[in-house]
Amino acid sequence: MSGRVIVITSGKGGVGKTTSNANIGTALANAGNKVVMIDTDLGLRNLDLLLGLENRIVYTIVDVVEERCKLKQALVKDKKNPNLCLLAAAQTRDKSAVTQEQLVDICNKLKKDFDFILVDCPAGIEQGFQNAVAGASEAIVVTTPEMSAVRDADRIIGLLEAKEEIKSYKLLLNRVRPNLIKSKDMMSIDDVVDILSCELIGIIPEDTGIITSTNKGEPIVNDDKSPAGQAYQNVARRIMGEEVEFMNLEEPQDVVSKVKKFFKGLMGREK
Amino acid sequence: MRDIFSEFYNKVLGFFRQTEEEDKTKDVACNRLRVVLMQDRTNLNPQLLERMRGEIVDLLSKYVEMDREALDLNFEQEGEQIALMLSIPVVRAKEEAEIEATLKAEDEKKAALEAIDKEDSEAEAETDEVQEEEESEDSDATDVADEEKSEDGATEEPKTTEEIKKPKLKKFEKSE
Repeated sequence: MSGRVIVITSGKGGVGKTTSNANIGTALANAGNKVVMIDTDLGLRNLDLLLGLENRIVYTIVDVVEERCKLKQALVKDKKNPNLCLLAAAQTRDKSAVTQEQLVDICNKLKKDFDFILVDCPAGIEQGFQNAVAGASEAIVVTTPEMSAVRDADRIIGLLEAKEEIKSYKLLLNRVRPNLIKSKDMMSIDDVVDILSCELIGIIPEDTGIITSTNKGEPIVNDDKSPAGQAYQNVARRIMGEEVEFMNLEEPQDVVSKVKKFFKGLMGREK
Repeated sequence: MRDIFSEFYNKVLGFFRQTEEEDKTKDVACNRLRVVLMQDRTNLNPQLLERMRGEIVDLLSKYVEMDREALDLNFEQEGEQIALMLSIPVVRAKEEAEIEATLKAEDEKKAALEAIDKEDSEAEAETDEVQEEEESEDSDATDVADEEKSEDGATEEPKTTEEIKKPKLKKFEKSE
């Protein structure tokens, strides 16, 4: 078995890398794959929080690299799905505690036992990024339809292009607000894809459910009713090779909601 | 009271008004992004682009008579490729004799400068030899190499503007 190593990166911070990583990983595991997620944001770890595993971390990636434990001992199993594992980052060290070669080594070892290795990348283009990308052969670039995020995503795409090991990269457009796109206050999906000229792997709508699911430490992908959850499911299916149509994100506009909106606007309460 | 009424009136009108006069901000964003990404990707800010444009116009003017102001220089994106698109409005073709004359004058200028440079470098080599003899106890092979290097490029001592210009020309010729 040779697993696929996919790095989830963005350049810009706060666009949804870790959230996407947690959800895509969970969705892939739910579909029967053996998945390991690696948090390389040393010093500022968060993947454990999103999965609700923060109290179960015994050994971290730094312990593995400094040979205080075996790689297997550092893999934390998910609460619900035994197919899903986490290799946590160290919270008390920084990005210099691990080298690119060590990351490559870990990814190569994990490839033998897992179908998918999802590497969560920290924001930026410095050593954290270089480490995260080192062992990967595919990349998912996460961005939102906002100027700073798109600009940084473009830079990241440029850097990924220069790396021979990265054979393919796809775009994940996150926090999309269809109403703002309609009123031309937000860049459309086509605009972003055109500007970055990158193939799309998924569109995730803005969903307040993300906040509550993070509060609970349960990835939103387990909630069938949430739009973001469904979108992440589709991303996982596309990664597995299935052709899935992109969701129609527009909310149904019936007369009652239109009238409600009109009165809301009158009273000055916008959107 | 009057304010609430006028606001209500405007909102009702706004509800029925179909056309939007002001530029929607997403178009502003897209345009700004395209420009800034082009600059980011090619490291060409507006000043550098302008200078490049001027140099291209000068170069092409040697061969064709063109409308210097109407030369169009743009970056365009075709899929994944960024292409530099140049549009040159040609007013008339130059006579062959005219082109030859311009090029000949340029070649003569270059040759003259080369000759001066050669004289200069020979003179500098002589003074270096004299300096070497004076510092014979301290100098070794690396010092000589360093002096030759500094003569080519960096200005370590204050020089006149002429001397500063010459090293740049030397580099240009050597690369040919």
